[in-house]
Amino acid sequence: MNLTKTWVAQLDDYVIDLAWSPAGRVLASASAAGPVTLFDAQGARLHTLPGHADGTNALAWTPGVIADSGDRKPDSPILTSGGQDGRVRFWDANTGRQTVETEMAPAAWVEHLAWRPAAIDPVSGIRNPLLAAAAGRRLSFLSTDGSIAHTFTDAPKTLSALAWHPRGGAIAVAYFGGVCLWDADDFHARREYAYGSAIPALVWSPDGRWLVAGAQDNAVHLWLPEEDQEFHMSGYETKVRELSFSHDSRWLATGGARDACVWDCSGTGPEGREPLALPHADRVCAVAFQHSHGLLATAANDNEVELWSPTRQQPLVATVRLTAPASKLAWSPDDTLLAVGSQKGGVLVLKVEG
Amino acid sequence: MSADQRIPVTVLTGFLGAGKTTLLNRILTGQHGRKIAVIENEFGEVGVDNQLVIQADEEIFAMNNGCLCCTVRGDLLRILGRLLKRKDRLDGVLIETTGLANPGPVAQTFFSDPEIRDAYRLDSIVTVVDARHVAQHFDDGRETKEQIAFADVILLNKTDLMGAADLDRLETRLHRMNTAARIHRTRNCDLPLDRVLDVGGFNLSRATDLDPRFLEPEYPFEWAGVYELAAGTYQLCIGHHSAGQQNGHESGEDAHHHHGDEDELDVALLPVKSLDAIDLAAARDLAVQVFSDWEKRVKPGEAVTPGATLQRLQLADGHGDFPVTIPATGRYMLFTAHDVPTHLHAADQSLVRYVHDQTYRHEHSHDEEVSSVGITLPGELDAKRLNDWIGGLLAKKGQDIFRCKGVLAVRSSDKRLVFQGVHMTFDAKFDQPWGGAPRTNIFVFIGRNLNREELINGFKACMVS
Repeated sequence: MNLTKTWVAQLDDYVIDLAWSPAGRVLASASAAGPVTLFDAQGARLHTLPGHADGTNALAWTPGVIADSGDRKPDSPILTSGGQDGRVRFWDANTGRQTVETEMAPAAWVEHLAWRPAAIDPVSGIRNPLLAAAAGRRLSFLSTDGSIAHTFTDAPKTLSALAWHPRGGAIAVAYFGGVCLWDADDFHARREYAYGSAIPALVWSPDGRWLVAGAQDNAVHLWLPEEDQEFHMSGYETKVRELSFSHDSRWLATGGARDACVWDCSGTGPEGREPLALPHADRVCAVAFQHSHGLLATAANDNEVELWSPTRQQPLVATVRLTAPASKLAWSPDDTLLAVGSQKGGVLVLKVEG
Repeated sequence: MSADQRIPVTVLTGFLGAGKTTLLNRILTGQHGRKIAVIENEFGEVGVDNQLVIQADEEIFAMNNGCLCCTVRGDLLRILGRLLKRKDRLDGVLIETTGLANPGPVAQTFFSDPEIRDAYRLDSIVTVVDARHVAQHFDDGRETKEQIAFADVILLNKTDLMGAADLDRLETRLHRMNTAARIHRTRNCDLPLDRVLDVGGFNLSRATDLDPRFLEPEYPFEWAGVYELAAGTYQLCIGHHSAGQQNGHESGEDAHHHHGDEDELDVALLPVKSLDAIDLAAARDLAVQVFSDWEKRVKPGEAVTPGATLQRLQLADGHGDFPVTIPATGRYMLFTAHDVPTHLHAADQSLVRYVHDQTYRHEHSHDEEVSSVGITLPGELDAKRLNDWIGGLLAKKGQDIFRCKGVLAVRSSDKRLVFQGVHMTFDAKFDQPWGGAPRTNIFVFIGRNLNREELINGFKACMVS
């Protein structure tokens, strides 16, 4: 196993989001101050987009398969960004120009963006891309032309996380007090799960079996929606903002402590099982499994980034040390490149081989 | 000179129209060049350009099964968290709350979330009050009293529109509610900015010079006057008199917030040897005993007599006339439970003036549900006992204890322990070393329905004997 540094770049501020384009040719990086810089996979700066005036919060590329727009070439994807200005902006990655902008709820930050998973609907054979955007307490669906396709009933508190069901039929939204599972086709609330604290992180297992919340009250809460069961894993050192599932849905990596805990979610789930504790010298600040391979990247506040295999307690390769704690870890779609954003504005791309 | 590298946060509270926005703009104008983030309520108008201004929307999170003492401001958690996502450190944060905001959840936001607690330091809560209207707001709801109770600094603003005597009374009243707050009189919120910024609400330098007035003992009476009386009969008149009689003792208190039962007044008339401090103190101490004894009811027209008996005068609409029989010539000290107009007339109707008088801090502020208890004790505390006591006290009474703060000497440490709490949440940090300074403890509680004796005894029990 080799881990090599391929390129580095410096943004003007804290790297608040990183996103690889669907084909892995472009890395979009947003600074908290606002500008969004597009790099190619070799590190050449393609464009610097102005982003959002008072700061950018989130990035999301339109999915790779777009059934309804044969005129758009796969190598010219659209990037969407959400910011403090309460807007979602659509950017053409080839020209670096904004194509459209949409104003969301007034005076609310757009903090979370997530495109509906690209899987084709088995009945109709097509599915229009839909962007879920959270602004304040409001969830809206946007079409590729920037128009608002649907606005949901406001949540009781500000939305703190979004997670599409992997098959795209529903989206889970978290807020202080619970999680609501909205049907993405007829927009009805399928389920509401009460939870007595804030929920900074929310993920589905790739097989759609587990819905997992990282919570403010130093805990991870798991639901099995199909089986009507839930589990509570408490005892973390801090709130849990870092969650990632392995591609086979077996392993759940969590932050919230100095150790990254990896839970075995196979069979009856993690309850009663000892998690694997992957040690760091300071609080874990990011965890990311590869999309379709088995490696886990973790980062901690001591500026270190490590690579692990979820079955071994030793890091796989030499530690990578940054000049500031990582703010974001993003694997390229083919899992060969790991992009790391730092709290001081650094962008580092590592190549994993062997 | 604090080693605390956290970002200082100043919270501005006060009723709409009191002058919060004026103060906010003064601060921003005086702080140009520094990177200050302003978190505003929806009505705010920041008049200074190039500032980072963020609107807040007052979202309450009840962290612990809906317990009110554990509520935090979710919007502030989110905004403060986002403000940390910067390459460069902010120089400060100003939070302007709405006039009706409860400062409790705002303050608790800085104690309950470790990420926020590690990055931000609540420097001070500054409450701006409109001197003319604050007393009226006290009656309108609990918000204003809570804003006074939570304050580290109180700006008594718009003082140009009020008389000096009224201002004195108001300041005394605010001080009784919150003895630990520094009160500044201002017009247009004009004051040196170091009175409101980086005051280190709980920092050592300030905490150690807390206003010593809260250390004064409290008494079951509010006023006493010494009269030189020949044997004979006098008339004691309680209550406001008609115009022209200005030589008696008029009330130091605003009749508007006169407390207790208006139709009763406890008095005691005790002989006193001289006006020497020692004799006055002896009479005062005797009066404390008398006031804790059974009372004798005295109807209008019935006689008040000198001696160690508490006499409860029955009044009508706050007025009453009582004959006083003096068996022997001498000095007598009249103690009254409340500071109300009191006049003594000789048999020929002439007014008898007191030769000395004194007001006392009343032990129970009957008129204010919000008050303070201050404790100063030299010596050292046992860390475990202190921790157990404070933990238990705040768990039980945290709902009523809005704030507590202290600078403490703990046996096991050569450094000052700086303590602060908001309701049930608290934070204690070792600060500067004592060095050669005498080891002593200062502790202040500000809250509702505080039991002074219980707090003092509880604290004393934590001392190393």
